Amino acid sequence: MSSEQKTERKFLRMTKSQRVQHVILFVSTTILIITGFMLQADNWLIEIFGDYGEIIFSIRSWLHRIAGVTVALVCAYHLIYVITTEEGKSWALDMLPRLKDAVDAYQNVLFMIGLRDEKPKLDRFMYMEKLEYWSVYFGMTIVIITGIMMWTEYLWPRFYLEVANVFHLGEAVLAALAIIVGHIFSVHYNPHVYPMNRTFIDGMISEEMMKEEHELWYEREIKNLDKPAAGTDSNEKT
Amino acid sequence: MCHKYPGLGRIDSNGANNANKIKRVFYINNNIYEKTYHGSIRCKSCHTGVTKIPHNGIKKVDCATECHIIDPSSNKPFSHKKIVNDFNASVHGSEGSNTSAKEDLPVCKDCHSNKAYHADYEKQTAEMASLKVCEECHKSGEFTKRFFEHISYRTTKRRSSKEVVKLCSTCHADKELMDKHELDIVIGFSNTFHAKALFYGNTEVPNCLNCHAPYQLGFSPHRIASQKSSESPTHSENKHLTCSQSGCHIDAEKSFASGGYVHPSPEKIKISKIIGSQEKTRFQNTVIGWIQMFYKVLITLVIGGLAFHRVLDFHATRREKNKGGH
Repeated sequence: MSSEQKTERKFLRMTKSQRVQHVILFVSTTILIITGFMLQADNWLIEIFGDYGEIIFSIRSWLHRIAGVTVALVCAYHLIYVITTEEGKSWALDMLPRLKDAVDAYQNVLFMIGLRDEKPKLDRFMYMEKLEYWSVYFGMTIVIITGIMMWTEYLWPRFYLEVANVFHLGEAVLAALAIIVGHIFSVHYNPHVYPMNRTFIDGMISEEMMKEEHELWYEREIKNLDKPAAGTDSNEKT
Repeated sequence: MCHKYPGLGRIDSNGANNANKIKRVFYINNNIYEKTYHGSIRCKSCHTGVTKIPHNGIKKVDCATECHIIDPSSNKPFSHKKIVNDFNASVHGSEGSNTSAKEDLPVCKDCHSNKAYHADYEKQTAEMASLKVCEECHKSGEFTKRFFEHISYRTTKRRSSKEVVKLCSTCHADKELMDKHELDIVIGFSNTFHAKALFYGNTEVPNCLNCHAPYQLGFSPHRIASQKSSESPTHSENKHLTCSQSGCHIDAEKSFASGGYVHPSPEKIKISKIIGSQEKTRFQNTVIGWIQMFYKVLITLVIGGLAFHRVLDFHATRREKNKGGH
């Protein structure tokens, strides 16, 4: 913080479209987790709602469906986005898992436990971010399919619905915990960014943090800045 | 005569020890009794054979007794005999059940208490315009009011779904009792979507009776049959009709209701230990068990891994900061 001078440069990490997609995903997922786990509460806890229980249940049911549809739509949009737009293509391409990620993971673990002096140079998206990103594909596919099945319950044999239910719940527990343990930590409690990484709001990453956490990407961007024509996906502030 | 005096009772002693003494209260509050379903029936109509004091050698109350009320629909003395016979022939009854421990079977009083009409319901009916309409012709005020209450009270739900579940659970969630009768303990129900919605107070989801004794399909709680009986609404051949009752899964096909238990006890969903059930159910439970296991392992690995990585990261960052600081 001591180096907060007016000369600090910031780079664009999330475009407006990406931030909007993220906020929609984040708000609907939160609603889905709350309204979904309301069905897992013990009956004595549910009975605390007393006479309001019925209306709460009805609101819960609708909110879960509305948020579910919203999430499905934003996922569908994201697929179109990564296929058709330039920034989407670049995002997905940089997210693709590479052999380097495994090497990075190995070297970073060694560095963290103190068996290596230098942190590996990480690219635009480090292995954990890639893991989180692709997990959303895996998870969303499961919850969307099983969610639709349970919504159209009369079309399916009961056993299929039970399987759907177990997958839906298992995936929800996994996702909720992963968001809490993995994602919220990296955005809020990571010592680099505490109390909050503001990238998801303003889209920017500071030069200092970029250099520290995504050195390879930083070096590439700086190189691009030197070439006058290639400054499109980086935004320089002084 | 005597029972109107508060305090009337008897101390029963079970053995010489004073600690085992139980006071049995025999007091009847007439004001409350008159407001009950049976309030217009005199004591001796049910407690037959009471002719002397002490009341020795009298039989227990039999709900099939003809009481001193004339059924206005048939002009004959009223009796619950038909229902008692139906009940006895049902899976809960002494004739219908094949258990050897008949003493464990429920009796009328286990489900029916001679409870008072709700005070608020009494007040409500007294002001109802429809009752005033009846009273235009039927001058016998008390009878008309009672008749009206009788009919109108029966058109509303007498027990909430939660009460029904709790009532059935007194026996069906009692592991010892169910084991004794080789029945599946019904605790799995409380984890179903139906149960959750029901405990929130939703009235659209079924309670035990809506599936096991749906009036809509011509069944009754007094005629509950075992799921093995081809007559039962929960028999595999009839289940889809039960599920597709109006207001429920109306488009449900036969396959929707296929398969094993709707609310299996958790111990049935285990990979290895499966209590004697059909092959198909066994296969299905195994599949469900494996998926649950898959997620348990996945969640432990992923979340454990994430947490471990975060802790290491935290540690490394602090270490590097300290290095930089000194």
